[in-house]
Amino acid sequence: MLTELDSLKTEALSALDTLTDEAALEAFRIDYLGKKGKLTGLSAGMRDVPVEQKKDVGAKLNEVRDAITNGLATRKEALQAAKDAEAVAGIDLTLPGRPGAGTGTLHPLTQIRDLAVRTLRRMGFTLADGPEVETEWHCFDALNTPADHPARNESDTFYMPDGKLLRTHTSSVQIRTLETVKALPVRIIAPGAAYRRDEIDATHLSVFNQIEALFVDKDVSLADLKGTLEFFFREVFGPGTAVRFRPHFFPFTEPSFEIDVKLEAKGKEARWIEIAGCGMVDPAVFAAVSKSRGDDLFHPDQVTGFAFGMGLDRLAMILHGISDIRHLIENDVRFLQQF
Amino acid sequence: MQVSLNWLSTHLDLSSFSTPQLSDLLTFAGIEVEGIEEKGVSSDKVIVAQIQSFEPLPNSDKLSICQVDDGSGSLRQIVCGAKNFKAGDKVPLALPGAVLPGGFQISEGKLRGVVSNGMMCSAKELGIGEDTGGLWILDGGLPVGKPLNQIVESDTLFDLEITPNRSDLLSHLGLARELAALTGLSLKSERDHRKTTSTARAAKADEVALEDTEGCPYYTARVIKGVKVGPSPEWLKTRLESIGLRPINNIVDITNYVMMEMGQSLHCFDLDKLQGGIAVRRAKEGEKILALDGQEYSLLVEDLVITDGQRPVAIAGVMGGEETGVVEGSTNILLEAAYFAPSTVRRTARRLNLHSDSSYRFERGIDPQQVHGGSDLATKLILEIAGGTAEAEIRVAGEAPTLVNDVVLDEVRAHKLLGISELKTEEAHDILSKLGLIKKSGDAAASTWSIPSYRLDLLRSVDLVEEIARVIGLDRVPAKFTAAFAQGDGTDKIYDHAMQLRQALANRGFNEAQTLRLIATGQTNDALGNPTGGLAALKNPLSEDHTTLRPSIVPGLLASAALNVRQGADRLRLFEIGRVFLKMPNGMVREEERLAILLSGPVAPSTWHAREPKAADIFDLRGLVESLPGVSSVEIKPLKDNGTFLLHSELKAGNRVLGWIAQVHPARARALDARTPVYVVELLLSALRQGSAGPAKFTDLPRFPSITRDVAFELSTDVSNAKVTAFFGSVKEPLLISTALFDVFADPSGTKLPKDRKSLAWTLTYRASDKTLETAEVDAAHSRIVAALEKALPVVVRR
Repeated sequence: MLTELDSLKTEALSALDTLTDEAALEAFRIDYLGKKGKLTGLSAGMRDVPVEQKKDVGAKLNEVRDAITNGLATRKEALQAAKDAEAVAGIDLTLPGRPGAGTGTLHPLTQIRDLAVRTLRRMGFTLADGPEVETEWHCFDALNTPADHPARNESDTFYMPDGKLLRTHTSSVQIRTLETVKALPVRIIAPGAAYRRDEIDATHLSVFNQIEALFVDKDVSLADLKGTLEFFFREVFGPGTAVRFRPHFFPFTEPSFEIDVKLEAKGKEARWIEIAGCGMVDPAVFAAVSKSRGDDLFHPDQVTGFAFGMGLDRLAMILHGISDIRHLIENDVRFLQQF
Repeated sequence: MQVSLNWLSTHLDLSSFSTPQLSDLLTFAGIEVEGIEEKGVSSDKVIVAQIQSFEPLPNSDKLSICQVDDGSGSLRQIVCGAKNFKAGDKVPLALPGAVLPGGFQISEGKLRGVVSNGMMCSAKELGIGEDTGGLWILDGGLPVGKPLNQIVESDTLFDLEITPNRSDLLSHLGLARELAALTGLSLKSERDHRKTTSTARAAKADEVALEDTEGCPYYTARVIKGVKVGPSPEWLKTRLESIGLRPINNIVDITNYVMMEMGQSLHCFDLDKLQGGIAVRRAKEGEKILALDGQEYSLLVEDLVITDGQRPVAIAGVMGGEETGVVEGSTNILLEAAYFAPSTVRRTARRLNLHSDSSYRFERGIDPQQVHGGSDLATKLILEIAGGTAEAEIRVAGEAPTLVNDVVLDEVRAHKLLGISELKTEEAHDILSKLGLIKKSGDAAASTWSIPSYRLDLLRSVDLVEEIARVIGLDRVPAKFTAAFAQGDGTDKIYDHAMQLRQALANRGFNEAQTLRLIATGQTNDALGNPTGGLAALKNPLSEDHTTLRPSIVPGLLASAALNVRQGADRLRLFEIGRVFLKMPNGMVREEERLAILLSGPVAPSTWHAREPKAADIFDLRGLVESLPGVSSVEIKPLKDNGTFLLHSELKAGNRVLGWIAQVHPARARALDARTPVYVVELLLSALRQGSAGPAKFTDLPRFPSITRDVAFELSTDVSNAKVTAFFGSVKEPLLISTALFDVFADPSGTKLPKDRKSLAWTLTYRASDKTLETAEVDAAHSRIVAALEKALPVVVRR
C-alpha cells in the first residue's frame, strides 16, 4: 500500500509537468483527486489495512494528497503567470497613444473672458446683459454723450433702418441694468460684443468684445475703484503686476482714467500697455437713469459709483502675443489648436 | 497736436525738467504723449565744413574720399557715400564725439581700410528734414567751423493727444498754463492774450452784418492797409515748421502762429477782392465756394458762411475762399477773428470731410473772451512784420458769449468721492487756485469758484473734483477692497450653461470658433433654422461683406470651414456659441443665443492604429447633440430641403424646438472645396437650458435581475424608425423597462431582402421591482408585445 502510494505520487507529479492548459489540469484533478480518482480509489483500500499499519498508511495518504494538491496548485499558478506575461509580451509602450476624438479647444477670447468673469465673480460681481441692437438713448444720450458727438455719426457707428444702432460699447448695459434693478448695491459685469464702423485690418475689427463692470452704492469712492482694479489686474496678470492710472476723459465718467499695466510682451522688455478705461459714474448718467425710472433710487446726489471697461480682443492679443487681430475671427484650426 | 518745447519755453522756464520728466508730467495730467521727437543737434561737434576736393574710392561704386575744411587750418579726410555734392559745397560735418539724434555716436574709423575722421550728414540724419537723397548742402555764406546748433535751433517735439473736453490745451499758451499749474512755475505774465490793446466799436451794417448769431455769436474785423506780403522772417518760419506747418506768406503765417500760440483761429481776406461788406449767414442751397485747398465745395442751408454781400468768401471756421485769400501783391487786408458755434462748424466740416486746424479748434470750443486779444496779437505782428497801418478801432458785431459760470464745490461729496481721508481742504483749494480758478466764498460744506473763461469743461461740482483728482493722482488714493452681496439674475445661469456646453464640446474634440456677427447678404442663404421674420440688414454697412446681422451662426462656420479646407485641413470639428438676430414681423430685432456645430471628415485623427478612420456621418452629429448637457433624446421633424441643406430637419424634445440639423448640400459643399460631407446643427440655448433645469432626481437601484428578449421583424423601408419607437413608447406592459434598437439590415441589391424591405432587431428588457422574474411571465409579456406590434404596424415578425 505504501509502495503503491509512493509510486502514485511520483506518477502524478511527473504527469503534472506535462500539462499546459486549464482543461488538462482539470482532467488531472478528476483523474487523481475526483470521486472516482486514483487517490480516492487507493484511500478506499484503507479499511483493508491492518490496524497496526493504519497510522503509517494514513500519514502517507495525507502526504501524497497534499503533494498532488500542492503540485496541482503550483502548476496552475505557473501556467496563469505564463499566460499573463504572454498577454503583454511584445507591447512597445513608446508607440503613440490613441487620441480618441482628438483634443478640442476653447477660443482664446472665451478663455480670457472666463478668466475675467471668474475673477470678478469672486469679488462679488454678477453678470448682466443687454441687446446689441440698441437705442441711441441707451448707447449715447443716457451716457452723457453730446448730441453732436462724432461717435454718433453714421461714418463711425452702424445704424439700422429704424434708427436703432449697433452698440458701440458694452457701457449701454450699465444703463439697461440701472433702469431695471430694484435695490442697491448694483455690482454687475457685462461681457459682450460691440460694434464700430472700422475697416477690418491687422488691429481693427468691426465687431469686437468687451467686458464692462459697474458698482453703484451710497458711498463708492475712487478708493473702491482703485482697490478693485488693482486687485483684478493682479489676479489676472500675476501678484507683482504694476498698474497705473492716467487721467483721461470719457463722457460717462468723471473723474476718468485709463489704466496701463506693465507687461512683458514675448521676448521684449516690459512696458506700459493701455488696457482699460474707468472712472466714477458721471452724475449726468444717474440723472438720465432717474428720469427714465421716475424714482430716486439713483438720485445723483444720493449715490456714487464706478465703472470700468476693457477690450478683450486686445487683452487676448497681448497675453498670447498675437500679432494680427484677424486671427481671432478667421478660425484657422492651426491657430485655434494653440490655445 | 504737435507741440514745440522751444515754443512752450517762451511761456515758462522748463529748463529744470528732462524730456522724460516732462513726458510723465503731461501723461499724469491726462495729456497722453503719443510721441517724442528730438529735432536738430544739441551737440556743438556738428559744424559747417567745406568740401575742398574728392576722388572716388578705388574698387567702390559709391564711396568717395573727400578732403574737407573744418576751419581748424588743416584738411580732414572723410569717406562719404553721397553723390549730390561738388567741390566748394558747404555741408554739416559731425566730428568724432558728436552724438546724432537716435543716440548715434560718431567716432574716428576706417571705411574699406581708408581713414575717415567724421561724417558728413544729410538733413534727416540731423533730425531736421526729410530724406532728400544726399548731403544737406548748406548756404554758401555760412562760416566754416561754426557749430550747426548756432544756425539751426534744436528742439523737442511732443505729439500730444488732447482729450475732447480740454480745448483750452490746443495751443502753446494753453499747455504752458497747464504746466505752470502742475509745476508751480510762473508764466511770463505779459503773455495773457485775453488782455486787449485796441478799442472796439460796433460795426456798421455795411461793414459786418451778423445775420446768424446762433452759428456766430461774435464777429470782429480789423482793417489793415498798406501791408507788404512776402516771406515770413526766419523765427516765424522756424516756429511753424517745427510743428509741421508749411510757411506760406507772412500774413497767413501770422494767423497760423496766433492759432498755435493761443488757440484763436483767424482768417485774413484781401480787402480789395471783397465786393462788399462782410455778412455772416447760412449758405443758400447749392451755393458753391472754391476753398483754399483748391477744391470746390457745394454748400447746404445748414452751413455757415462768410460772404462779401455777393458770394461766400469763407466757410465759417473751416476754411477761407481761394479767390479772396491774401497772396503776394495784396496790400489791404481784413483780419477776421470770431467765435463760431462748435456744433455748426463740426457739422459742416464733417459733411464736407474738410477738417482743418481751425475747424478742429472751433469744434471743441475756443475761449470767446480771447477773440479780441487774438486779433490784437495778429495785428501787432502784421504791423511789425508786414508793415501797414491798422484802423484804430476793431469792428465788432454780436457779443462774446459767456460760457462759464461760477461753480459750487460740494466739499462733503467731493471728499467722499475722492476717498482720500488725509486730503485737507486747503490742499484741494490750492490745486484749484493754481489752475486759475478763484475762490469767491466758502465754508465747510461748500465753496464757490469763479472759472477762467478758457475752461469750458468746468461746469459742475464734479468737474472740480476731477481737477483735484487729476492733479493729486491716484497714487495718494488708498486702495479699498469692497465687496457686497449682489443679487444675480438669470444672466449668470445663462453664462454658466454656455460655458458648460463649450467645455463639453471641447472635451469631445471640437474647436471653438468665433465668427463675425456681420455677414454678407449672399451668406444668409447658408442660414440654418427658419427665421420667423426677415433679415436685420444695416442701414450703413461698410462693405458688401458685412451688410447684415447674422440670422444664424452656420454661415460663419461654413466660411471658416472653407478657409480651413483650403489650408489643407481634412477633419473639421468646429462650434460657436453666440448671438443671432432675427427681424420680427413687427420690425423689432430679436436677439437669441445659439450653439452651432459643424462636423466633417474622419471621426478620429489618423494614427498608426487606424490610418483612415471612417468619415463622420450625420448620426455622429445627432449622437453628439444627444450627449450634450440638457439633451437626452431628440425627435426629428423633417423640413423641406433647399439649395444649401439636405436631410434638413427640426430637432425637438416633446413640443420644445431644440434647433435644426442638416447635411450641407453636396453642391454647396463642393463650392466650399470640402472633400467630405459636411454636417451642421444649430441649437437654441434657451431650449437646451430648459432641459437641464433643476437637480437630478435619484431613482432607486434595481434589486432584482432583468431578463431580455429580442424581436426581429421585416417592414417596408418607407416606415421610419420613429414609428417603431413610437409603438414601443406606447406599450403599457408593467414588466417592460426599456427597449433598444440593435440592428438595421437592408440589401440594396435585393438578394437577401427585397429592395423595399428592411429588417430591424430590437432588444426588450423586462424586470420586476419586487421579485426575480419567472421565464413564463416574461415570455407571456413578450408575446403580448410582439402581437401588438404586428397589429399596430405593417411588420412581419421573424420567428
